[in-house]
Amino acid sequence: MPGADKEADLTERIEAFLADLKRGGCGTGPIRGSGETARETTALLRKVTAQARWSSAGDLMEIIRKEGRRMTAAQPSETTVGNMVLRVLKIIREEYARSRGSSEETDQQESLHKLLTSGGLSDENFRQHYVHLKANVIEAINELLTELEGTTDNIAMQALEHIHSNEVIMTVGRSRTVEAFLKDAARKRKFHVIVAECAPFCQGHEMATNLSKASIETTVIADAAIFAVMSRVNKVIIGTQTVLANGGLRAVNGTHTVALAARHHSTPLIVCAPMFKLSPQFPNEEDTFHKFVSPHEVLPFTEGEILSKVNVHCPVFDYVPPELITLFISNIGGNAPSYIYRLMSELYHPEDHDL
Amino acid sequence: MEECLVEYFRTQMRTDPDMASAVAAIRTLLEFLRRDKGETILGLRESLKWATDCLTEVDSSVAVSSGGELFLRFISLTSLEHQDLSRCKKVMEERGELFLEKISLSRTKVAKLCHTFIKDGAKILTHSSSRVVLRVLEKAAAEKKRFTVYVTESQPDTAGKQMADALRRLNVPVTVVLDAAVGYVLEKVDLVIVGAEGVVESGGIINKIGTYQMAVCSKAHNKPFYVVAESFKFVRLYPLNQQDVPDRFKYKADTLRTVSDLSDEHPMIDYTPPSLITLLFTDLGVLTPSAVSDELIKLYL
Repeated sequence: MPGADKEADLTERIEAFLADLKRGGCGTGPIRGSGETARETTALLRKVTAQARWSSAGDLMEIIRKEGRRMTAAQPSETTVGNMVLRVLKIIREEYARSRGSSEETDQQESLHKLLTSGGLSDENFRQHYVHLKANVIEAINELLTELEGTTDNIAMQALEHIHSNEVIMTVGRSRTVEAFLKDAARKRKFHVIVAECAPFCQGHEMATNLSKASIETTVIADAAIFAVMSRVNKVIIGTQTVLANGGLRAVNGTHTVALAARHHSTPLIVCAPMFKLSPQFPNEEDTFHKFVSPHEVLPFTEGEILSKVNVHCPVFDYVPPELITLFISNIGGNAPSYIYRLMSELYHPEDHDL
Repeated sequence: MEECLVEYFRTQMRTDPDMASAVAAIRTLLEFLRRDKGETILGLRESLKWATDCLTEVDSSVAVSSGGELFLRFISLTSLEHQDLSRCKKVMEERGELFLEKISLSRTKVAKLCHTFIKDGAKILTHSSSRVVLRVLEKAAAEKKRFTVYVTESQPDTAGKQMADALRRLNVPVTVVLDAAVGYVLEKVDLVIVGAEGVVESGGIINKIGTYQMAVCSKAHNKPFYVVAESFKFVRLYPLNQQDVPDRFKYKADTLRTVSDLSDEHPMIDYTPPSLITLLFTDLGVLTPSAVSDELIKLYL
């Protein structure tokens, strides 16, 4: 039966995706970049919307939330999965509101204005059935997918405004976004890049190789030399794993050091992060914030004698507070960290923040 | 007429000591609206402005003033929709009741947002007595979190002692410290949570005197400084420094009436600029100080 086959196929794809998530991101760099994860998640959600049985927007949102919870539970540190689920939920709410004919702005956010003027306890339960809702939602998700595909290019396009000739740029570890950003600027400008190797995974080495292949003068330095070299640096451009709701970052370990050194020398710190990395989380959840991986990168198991006497930790992420960041460059342009709350309110609905 | 109003306000504050003074003010103004015999909307606004002035003479805090302004705004917005006065009044009364119902839930919403920021084993510093902070700590205690609290004594009215008593009743270990000991105690503390009497447009707050000091010290020690406030405390002021805060808020109503030279008096409140505040927890969500002016613009413009 074709229906049952399609459903089985969908469940299989979701299971495969979950298994991949659990395995991936083991610290030696994600096996898949976060852009790919975002695209996969959105494609899966589109399939769920198309194939699952639902009659009203409320049902669909429940189904998406359920799948979303399963996916985020597989790998809590991969926040792009959760972010995409929230984007899709917001799309559903918008399409529902559009079908009802009410303007998009009303019933969206809590505000003092809404408190004063609403005529009754609005119980928006999304129970109405609309014929074209499915097609509209799928079309909107397709638009989201197109946006996701173009993010790195959109960010790279802004490179020429920020990088000038004969500048010394510093970066940390490996970020595909920053790589594209620097390569785009290198087409027209000549500048020098210093890459901090970012031990213990030393992703900086790969970044330096890729940059030098694009004929950019690159230097690799050890993490301990970051402060020493900072006085010669004009700008620091970094990528991040997540942008938090207060404008702070959850980035690869070593980023906080770079940020503090940059603040000390009054060097601007620019973060290249696409919008799908913006998460409504605040940095308060200590148990889910950090991820620790096998410490053999720090102290190999061959050092058996020492290992029994010391505790070894290998954290993957760092928190960078918003005060240390100068500018966020995303696919929709450049923004200050204090503006993040506004971007968040445009992308996600406050009721969805806890899946 | 005036005595009636003031008496109603005082009764509201007495019967429910847990009620915020802004809520009592709004309730009083709603009652005044019901009893008002005016014929025009303009007349209604005038009498409401007069009523708000009477209330601020009784209780000169920022909260009462912000509650009054909010109610006036509510009247303006409603009167724009309905031109006929009697219909307008009916709608206003209904919406007023609904509004009061919603804001009675705001403290619970704030507590729900804030308690996740209190970790097990945390040491919290707070200033003077704030019912919202008390509610947040109640919720955290109910979630079986273990934490200790340091409360400043908060002269000149030693309100800190009341806060300490309330916390002891919740079985939370609490220590009362001198206002001067804030710098001394901050190295032991993990986070600072304070309430606010008013939240100004820049995202800063107006609160009991001593809050600014606490904020400056927490910044120096790199400790997060959290503010918990309900949304009806947002007020349309933009002070740039301590001098800019109007005198009518700084001193108690009796002092303003009796004393001629205010330079000898001690102010009861101070202003904390937004650069010292980490996050604001309100019933509209967790806001960074820059998000506050957005909220106010949405309402007033």
